[in-house]
Amino acid sequence: MIRFLGSRLLRAAITIIMVVTFAFIVLRLSGDPAQIIMGADAPPEAVDAFRTAWGLDQPVLLQYFHYFGAILQGDLGRSMRDGRDAIVLVAERIPATLALTIPALIIKLGLGIPAGITAALHRNSFIDRAVMLLAVAGFTVPSFVLGLLLVLVFAVQLGWLPSGGQESWRHAILPIITMGVGGAAVLARFTRSAMLEVLGQPYIRTASAKGVPWRAVVWGHALPNAAIPTVTIVGFMVGSLIAGAVVVESVFSWPGVGRLLVVAVANRDLAVVQCILLLVAATMVTANLVVDLLYGLLDPRLRNQPKRATGAA
Amino acid sequence: MKISRRSALKLGAASLALPAPAIAQADSRPTVTVAVQNISTSNTLEMLREQSNVGTRIFRNYVEPLVDTDWVGDMSLQPGLATAWERVDDRTVDFTLRQGVRFHNGDAFTADDVAFSFGPDRMWGGGAKEVPTAVVQGARRIFPGFERIEVLGPHRVRVVNSVPDIVLEGRMARTAAVIANRRAFMAAPSWMEWARKPVGTGPYSIAEYRPDQMLTLDAFDAHWQGRPPIRRLRFAEVPEVASRVNMLVSGEAQFASDIPPDQIERIASDPRFEVAGGPINNTRYLVFNQAHPVLANPLIRRAMSHSIDREAIVAALWGGRTTVPRGLQWEFYADMYLADVEVPKFDPAEARRLLREAGYRGEAIPYRCLNNYYTNQTATAQINVEGWRAVGLNVELQMVENWGQIQAGDKTSRGVHDWSAAAAVNDPSIQMSGTWGRAGAPWLREQYRNEEFGTLADELETSMDRPRRRIVWRRMLEIIEREDPGYVVLHRNANFTAKRRDIAWRAAQSFVMDFRASNWGA
Repeated sequence: MIRFLGSRLLRAAITIIMVVTFAFIVLRLSGDPAQIIMGADAPPEAVDAFRTAWGLDQPVLLQYFHYFGAILQGDLGRSMRDGRDAIVLVAERIPATLALTIPALIIKLGLGIPAGITAALHRNSFIDRAVMLLAVAGFTVPSFVLGLLLVLVFAVQLGWLPSGGQESWRHAILPIITMGVGGAAVLARFTRSAMLEVLGQPYIRTASAKGVPWRAVVWGHALPNAAIPTVTIVGFMVGSLIAGAVVVESVFSWPGVGRLLVVAVANRDLAVVQCILLLVAATMVTANLVVDLLYGLLDPRLRNQPKRATGAA
Repeated sequence: MKISRRSALKLGAASLALPAPAIAQADSRPTVTVAVQNISTSNTLEMLREQSNVGTRIFRNYVEPLVDTDWVGDMSLQPGLATAWERVDDRTVDFTLRQGVRFHNGDAFTADDVAFSFGPDRMWGGGAKEVPTAVVQGARRIFPGFERIEVLGPHRVRVVNSVPDIVLEGRMARTAAVIANRRAFMAAPSWMEWARKPVGTGPYSIAEYRPDQMLTLDAFDAHWQGRPPIRRLRFAEVPEVASRVNMLVSGEAQFASDIPPDQIERIASDPRFEVAGGPINNTRYLVFNQAHPVLANPLIRRAMSHSIDREAIVAALWGGRTTVPRGLQWEFYADMYLADVEVPKFDPAEARRLLREAGYRGEAIPYRCLNNYYTNQTATAQINVEGWRAVGLNVELQMVENWGQIQAGDKTSRGVHDWSAAAAVNDPSIQMSGTWGRAGAPWLREQYRNEEFGTLADELETSMDRPRRRIVWRRMLEIIEREDPGYVVLHRNANFTAKRRDIAWRAAQSFVMDFRASNWGA
């Protein structure tokens, strides 16, 4: 187990280092932050002074080593646009994002998994087709289209809910539904296909033939075995809790991490973008680690054969 | 009716005894929400840092300069925090300050605040707080010849320039020339905390600023012009156009700014709403880079200018809601406005002739373009490229993401890019000499240099001889727009604001949004 955990942690560390390095290189290749932040008509000496002040005049490799060294000391840098520590700026926005993504995740799980199970248990029936029709619709409609449609109906036409902003709990309803519906559709499709695969296995037929009640067959045998692909998808959803609402936050003017990321990228506010990417990578890696551990809990065979678990991840 | 001291005290005590809701109900002024694309590009409200179009939109509501501008009228200079001004000599202007003005923190406005506002603490650096480089550089650019402010008395100051400056009064009307409260600045723990909540004298005080989200202003009832018409004024940052329009239609906002021309008819078709605005004091133009090997030849640049059908752009993309100006100048330049000047006409035959004369062989000219940083920018660029192709010019449209990418690379690698020019003062010297003269970014980057133009730009900036200045100005336009083009004027920018039809409010000839009593319910 220790070896298993150790290899996972090592892989997580390598992933994070790669993300940090990639973000650093891409951001520096895609536009001079000094010119962007100082503006188009800034005289060259002003731009040069900015570069010097922020160390952008140094060789990129040296900048990278400085940056990496600072990260190891817990210093994620300062926002060029705001002047404050990047981590403070990002931390300020996390509660707003979680206020959307956690309820949305609950909707995804609460709607998607039961819908997928129901569809699988009623395969080829009207219920199955109706659920899959809705799932395909929810899966294919982009979140910005769905968001605007919901605003058109519930804010503009009916006037029941606000169309954007973050002033009360009512402002969160439409963005949460927008995010929840798409994710629930994805989960419903995955759960259905996983369940169908398991329901066709010989051990399900054996259990039924032995006279085990159908409900017990489903809960005791089908669901645990169908859970692995679903847990993988849920892991990705948990991993995107921090920055998984970029589009929805923009459509609904919700001041979360996603909006901050958009603004920071546009302004090449290097420290802020890097801080968000680091946080996202860490969340995603942690979620994957938890998923790996859950595989072992769900399937004892994987627990005893860590190499196979690696393949499943 | 005579009010005794005793009865006044009774009245005061009685008002204190009133429950809070009763007092609130007595204020029947509305709360107004304006949905804007962006509140501030720098995440500050300090106009020395926020030199932007979006900063221009909000500033007048909470801070004021000595010299005001008639934004919704003819753009003329008006008394602001100064009631009068008087030229002492070519370099010096005395200002008489308005009495009875109070800052939002209750302090009386005096000459000391003017001296502080133009002093090292706030503007030039090296003072009590660490001021960002951008502030110092911006101040140097906006007040290039500034020497000092002399306090002549509690309500009288003298502004002294190091060189003759015919528009010194106009510079005192710039957004960067707003007056700030010394005590509040000094009390702020850091420059950033000051810049997030500057204390000025405007009709609204800053209640709360949440960067990238919301700016909330409250009526400042002690304002020298009287009670403002709006109890609470909110600027909500809503990046998406559709979301801004939705806020307006659903009643959550009373104004929605930055409406693209193609949305105007749809909004105005609803009887509850209308779209205000039109051409503003901002012109869209294309700028050339002389350092590019092909564009080094002025004949090529002239051919490019003659290949652009400006009227077609205005008709097709703006629905005729803006105009093609007479060069890079505005009507409010008054006696410096040259009404007979025209931009080079659309003449493909002349363009082809110039290209033949230049010996052009189809060499590629890069055109770096941002994706709709300016309204209709990408569509305009595509029309221009097709116009150039029609006369035989090989212009390669390169979509880039930011200004850094526009200026990236060796100076010879850059060809053409989009830009805009704004004028807030009624004289061409600030805009033209400041931007295109020897101290301007294009000159310093070796993007545009013409010795005769540079000399004339210096003269325009420092000459006090008005007839001579008109001659100089005419020649400057001739050089930079026809003989040795530095840019190609496309059209005047236009700014549109959707609003509730039942609110009487006028849009300014700029990005400024004026919510004073004089522009509300009129």
